[in-house]
Amino acid sequence: MAARRERLRLDLTTPTLLGLPVAWLVVFFIVPIAIVAAYSFDVYSLFPGKHGFTLAAWREFVHSSIYLKLFWKSVKMSLTVSAIIVVLAYPLAYYLALSGTKRKYVLLLVLIAPFLTSYLLRVLAWKVILGDQGVINTFLFWTGLRSPGHPISQLLYSRFAVMLVLGYVWLPFVALPIFVSLESLDRGLLEAASDLGASRLQAFRRVTLPLSLPGIMAAFLFVFIPTLGEFVTPSLVGGANGYMYGNQIVDLFGTGFPDWETGSVLAIFLFGVVTVLTVVFTRFLQPRRVATD
Amino acid sequence: MDVALSRNGRIALRALFVLVVLFLYLPIAILLIFSFNNSELPAFPLSGFTLHWYHQFLTNADLKAALQTSAIIAAISSVGAVVLGVLASVALTRRRIRGRAAVSALLLSPLVIPYVVFGISLLLLFHTIGIPRSILTVVIGHIVISLPYTILVLVPRLEQIDVSLEEAAYDLGASRLRTFRSITLPLIVPAVVSAFLIAFTTSFDEYAVASFVVGTRTTFPIYLYSALRFPNQLPQVIAVAVVVITLSLIVVVAAEVGRRVAEERLGSLENAG
Amino acid sequence: MPEERDVLERRLSRQDLLKLAAATGSAGLVAGPAGLARAANAHLAAESGRLQVLDWAGYGNDGGGSMFAQYVKTHPKNKPQFTYMGNEADALAKIHAGLKPDLFRPYVGWVKYFATSGLVQPWDPALISNLKHLNPYMVKAGQYQGKQYGIPDDWGFDAILYRSDKVKPKAKSWSLLFDERYKGKIAWYDDITMIQAAGLYLGFKNTWNQTDDQLKQTQKLLISKKHLVRKIWSSETDLWQLFGSGDVWIAYAWPNDWVQMKKKGLKVVYMRPKEKPIAWVGMFMLLKGTSRPNLAHAYVDAWSSAKSAKWLEDNYGYGHANTLARPSSSDLLRALQLTNLRAVTEPNAYMDRDIPRRALYAKTWEQVKAS
Repeated sequence: MAARRERLRLDLTTPTLLGLPVAWLVVFFIVPIAIVAAYSFDVYSLFPGKHGFTLAAWREFVHSSIYLKLFWKSVKMSLTVSAIIVVLAYPLAYYLALSGTKRKYVLLLVLIAPFLTSYLLRVLAWKVILGDQGVINTFLFWTGLRSPGHPISQLLYSRFAVMLVLGYVWLPFVALPIFVSLESLDRGLLEAASDLGASRLQAFRRVTLPLSLPGIMAAFLFVFIPTLGEFVTPSLVGGANGYMYGNQIVDLFGTGFPDWETGSVLAIFLFGVVTVLTVVFTRFLQPRRVATD
Repeated sequence: MDVALSRNGRIALRALFVLVVLFLYLPIAILLIFSFNNSELPAFPLSGFTLHWYHQFLTNADLKAALQTSAIIAAISSVGAVVLGVLASVALTRRRIRGRAAVSALLLSPLVIPYVVFGISLLLLFHTIGIPRSILTVVIGHIVISLPYTILVLVPRLEQIDVSLEEAAYDLGASRLRTFRSITLPLIVPAVVSAFLIAFTTSFDEYAVASFVVGTRTTFPIYLYSALRFPNQLPQVIAVAVVVITLSLIVVVAAEVGRRVAEERLGSLENAG
Repeated sequence: MPEERDVLERRLSRQDLLKLAAATGSAGLVAGPAGLARAANAHLAAESGRLQVLDWAGYGNDGGGSMFAQYVKTHPKNKPQFTYMGNEADALAKIHAGLKPDLFRPYVGWVKYFATSGLVQPWDPALISNLKHLNPYMVKAGQYQGKQYGIPDDWGFDAILYRSDKVKPKAKSWSLLFDERYKGKIAWYDDITMIQAAGLYLGFKNTWNQTDDQLKQTQKLLISKKHLVRKIWSSETDLWQLFGSGDVWIAYAWPNDWVQMKKKGLKVVYMRPKEKPIAWVGMFMLLKGTSRPNLAHAYVDAWSSAKSAKWLEDNYGYGHANTLARPSSSDLLRALQLTNLRAVTEPNAYMDRDIPRRALYAKTWEQVKAS
């Protein structure tokens, strides 16, 4: 009897397992977001003065074309980056997962290792590479492809620079989920396809690609979401033209004079859009696979 | 014939891989070069060799304190995230859960928040409930951020493990905790280590959330960001970066070697089971 | 007035004064307020704990140690502990969010805002012996309703830096920042002072208090000229990299930026526009309810000394309010016009000042960046 009670008490019941993680996220993640939402309606404020429910900040957000235009510009930038690096990362992951190389984990590590240097400093290094007197332009001067007075100045402080650096930062991270989904692929399927007379290309199109689609989608979301809210990279290499939605959020909370109501509106809008996108994507592609790949 | 790749395809992909690796390491090489460059601003042309920046960093107490603070935060928050991650992953893979879609959506939801937004939300929360900002508040935030990553690493590993092993132990009278301790845990050690490393690096390098909720202590990324404001502090920070990446490469290589040794051992154990 | 000076007043109660008089002998009282202040200082060294300072990154233990070395020497048990502010708005948010510094350091345009916010209290000039050496125009700018809310420290100009080998300005004017001929070679500064500068260029009478209509005009100008701008800089590291690497030729800049670029061997001119440059001055402000008012005074006094001032000028390249200090660099001396106390005020320049509708200005500027 005592032994049985002992067993019951120490048992890892589902509530025991899930209680702590779920509670942690509810208290330290969901509640804070609810507070920001309350802030956007001016129901709650840090600053003294008269406050009460109002839709003013939301109304201004919807009616002033500036914010939505900026959001759309950021979406386009993030989409471009995400699409390009997924296309670039796929063959890498394919090579690692399916070429049969014995060193695949070591090579994967080689891809991921740059993550260990500070993000800020890697971005800074890009400034040195892309500037008018930077590595690339000096190289062009040296080879005589450009005259020293005429560097390619679009390389830095431009949308291009932001997208390049974002791609750089996220590439290894995108390769990872694709690698996982390809690695779990049963090579027997490919062999069967081959036995049935399919060419490599056909086998790829009919077998490999569809089976790795969840990994691709996961990879895409992995890069699209964080880049959409990005502010450090654009503030360092973006210039006047590379300013993104995330910068505006930070600036509304920080610089000039704090406008936390508008800032909250922008933040909640971004969170909402991203959540809807994620839900749609995961519904569209077997939710379990995407969630775990 | 290889079913996945032709000879030419393999060569092309290998070339692409090499190019991408060069692309990834170019900025790091730049940092390495400029950590020895005798000028405050990292810009070409180079002006001379110096070890001054390394020396300066070694004698900079604040920089060292910032590194230490970040290491403490990263250590505590990664342990926390891994513990919560293991609990959640076991539940997700071994239990029937009502509203499972909602639960897993919640557990992974921090992935979809831009860190700026989260940092601000957390600041508002701590202010509302009156928790003063400190290292602890940063740890809390970093656990939230890292938790989904640990789950993403742990769940696939748990799914690979044959459940019948655990069921056998349970049928033989072991409690679920005991089953977990003696069967499941040893089998997922490699994934736990990866999860820990991912959480650690995420926390160590995290700026946005920390900048909002940190108290009077300065973390390394925050120190970095403020050093960016003043040109004369930049070079020693670059020197630190070189030291940090060297150290972490050593750690990761060691961890990888350890992981493979463990995996081989466990692989044979699994096969035997 | 008694509530206004509550902390000091309360701490220096009658009994304290009597005790002080006894402790320091009549000398303290005979020596007048300053002597009394010193005595008070000694007595109230009893204030405990580390002095909590909210300052800009780079001014604390992370680089600015020499500015308050004297304070650390005399108060080794109460060394300053720093929290960093991104800017005044950030400081305001942090204070509202529960941060309790003893003092912080906004710039002159915020003096009135904070003085009327109920968050700060005036300083006691008698406790800051170096105050008499500080530039009187700046000291005046630190006052609100006759009380010294801000103690001036570092300062500089907002004006225009350009490469004389690349740029031929049509006039000595802010218009150079909007000159179509130099598309992609111009840098603006990420601050709402851009609105004031644009307002000066547009000829508005009071650019710190533009009407709705004027503000719209300003915004229209800035948005329509933004395509000329390579980068809106937010730190001097940014600017020096931009300018030093030849990425830009024209920039909204501070005096030291000229000195540094000149040192790099670039042909540069620091131009004071005919619409007048703007002068900015850092201001120490004392938080209401601080438990370490005397330590805060001692800290600010250390910062205000000629020795600290010279160090700041030599190492940061900003001016310092202490008029006895002279930087080693004659270029910097010239750019800051240190020999002329009036350089920071009319008719030579506009001292930055309160913006009654700061929130609206901020929003206007944010929208310029977002558009």
